[in-house]
Amino acid sequence: MSNVIEQIESQIAKLSTKVARKNTGLIRTIADGVAKIEGLSDVMYNEMVSFPGGVIGIALNLEEDEVGCVILGDVSQLKQGDEVATTGKLLSIPVGKALLGRVVDALGRPVDGKGPIDSKETYPVEKIAPGIIVRKSVSQPLFTGIMAIDSMIPIGRGQRELIIGDRGTGKTTICIDTIINQARINKVGLASGDKGFRPVYSIYVAVGQKQSNIVRTISALEAADALQYTIIVAAPAADNPANQYLAPFSGAALGEWFMENGMDALIVYDDLSKHAVAYRQISLILKRPSGREAYPGDVFYLHSRLLERSARLDGKGSLTALPVIETQAGDVSAYIPTNVISITDGQIFLETDLFNQGIRPAVSVGLSVSRVGSSAQIKVTKQVGGKLKGELAQFRELAAFAQFGSDLDAKTKATLDRGARIVELFKQPQLNPVAIEVQASVLWVLQKSYFDSLEVKHIVTAANSLKDYLTSRKADLLTQIRNEAKLTDPIETGLKAAADEWKNTFSAK
Amino acid sequence: MAADKQTKLLAKQLFKLSVVNGVVSPEQVAGVLGWVEKTSPHRPVALLKAYQHRIALELAKSRAEVEHAGPVGDATLKQIEAAMTKRYARPVTATAKANPKLLAGLRVRVGSDIYESSVAGQLATLSV
Repeated sequence: MSNVIEQIESQIAKLSTKVARKNTGLIRTIADGVAKIEGLSDVMYNEMVSFPGGVIGIALNLEEDEVGCVILGDVSQLKQGDEVATTGKLLSIPVGKALLGRVVDALGRPVDGKGPIDSKETYPVEKIAPGIIVRKSVSQPLFTGIMAIDSMIPIGRGQRELIIGDRGTGKTTICIDTIINQARINKVGLASGDKGFRPVYSIYVAVGQKQSNIVRTISALEAADALQYTIIVAAPAADNPANQYLAPFSGAALGEWFMENGMDALIVYDDLSKHAVAYRQISLILKRPSGREAYPGDVFYLHSRLLERSARLDGKGSLTALPVIETQAGDVSAYIPTNVISITDGQIFLETDLFNQGIRPAVSVGLSVSRVGSSAQIKVTKQVGGKLKGELAQFRELAAFAQFGSDLDAKTKATLDRGARIVELFKQPQLNPVAIEVQASVLWVLQKSYFDSLEVKHIVTAANSLKDYLTSRKADLLTQIRNEAKLTDPIETGLKAAADEWKNTFSAK
Repeated sequence: MAADKQTKLLAKQLFKLSVVNGVVSPEQVAGVLGWVEKTSPHRPVALLKAYQHRIALELAKSRAEVEHAGPVGDATLKQIEAAMTKRYARPVTATAKANPKLLAGLRVRVGSDIYESSVAGQLATLSV
């Protein structure tokens, strides 16, 4: 019996008698997910504030006699006069590889019904972007698996490349294809046992999207077996604007963890137009002064501080960003599009007209650019695709003039024929990224005029047939191209032999 | 009726006049009230409410409300007063208030700061 008493006594002795200090305040008003709080004299900007019922808020407006907090949870139980307290912590979310394959909300909590996430580390949602000393220039490619992009608008690891276009032009598809391609490359690279191989982990941030669209994206990634290398941060349209505002920053925190720990990551912000709208909503409710199109004055800073966190770090990893912007009627000169265009290192512009003509992906070659340029391309792509952009630009220019007259000289006709074939060759079905070695081989075949004898309407079929032929019959040659990453004499000989053989079989059909 | 921007600004100015050396001065407050009565400014009720709110918040900074579940002696109150006066570098007076919900221990509130040393507070921490 005395043993039991001793146990209780020791437990009492262990009890902390230390005084806990907390800084508190009272809710003065609460509306639209924003609470005005009186008190909280010690609160910090962006500090987590604890509301009754375990609800968390963030202090965004620090005014002389009140604090404006956005609430990141259920506000239905909160009322005027409720006591709130500071936590002394800036908003942080769980990070790490344990989140791969999971769908989380803006606070890193699982929403996929697969149970709790066993993550041991946390990372601040808001963090100052890496400075100039620790950065390294972008020189390693990140293959999207989309021929038109990899050959003409190359993306490098650590780059910010904007995907911009009207609704329904295939912006999300490009992003999903890129994620699937990373998963495919990861599988091949990890299976090869190459110790220098660096896998790319993907983060897809869905902001303000319909839940059904998010489910479709998850299904597409699952079907392509790409979810195991991907984290999805979901802040759907039904979520409150505070979560929609935070989701891209949470995604950036997840990506930064990979970057800081020597790994490479890709992050897709789909999309920042809706993110800006969510931020505008919060700012208006917080009664911040509004500017152009009622956006607050710091909407540029909102996106610049987010996208500047994508970088390639010296001696560490990289974080590549693919922000998405939706334009209205192709207007790239609107407020948010011009902001994000000026922040990013290039843009891929998708045109509705091209999409409706069946040219998919509907990449507008004239308006799309990658400011990193060919430094993010492997040599083989430069060798086979270096002139493609110029040829296509010439084609577009001549095609416009050719509409007015039928008498064309031989050179113009040849340029038009070549351009039409390139356009056809770049047509690619969705969720079907093409390996870089296959892309290079197909472009080599194009450059060597193997497609010139074919009618333009047969180019897509011929290209598909060539891809099938190469992947099923010339796997060794493709592996050689992938490993050497440049056109050598033996590779060119191999390609010529393969192209001749394919041409014979294709022509025989 | 909520105070408009101008009323809030005037209340703030009157409040500043009422504080001398960081302490609310009863003489200054009386002077302010006399001025309001004499000049009858725009929306006087809203003005006085906003003014009263500011004064109440300021007074709360100089008052330590000691909530307790069991008995609390004068010596303890004096100790708390001395500690808080030192901490906030202003004279703080302690007032006792019984609160059986604390189960045991004390909770001291000074302005928007709460010093929690009660069983109820510890149980609340465990429940989160």
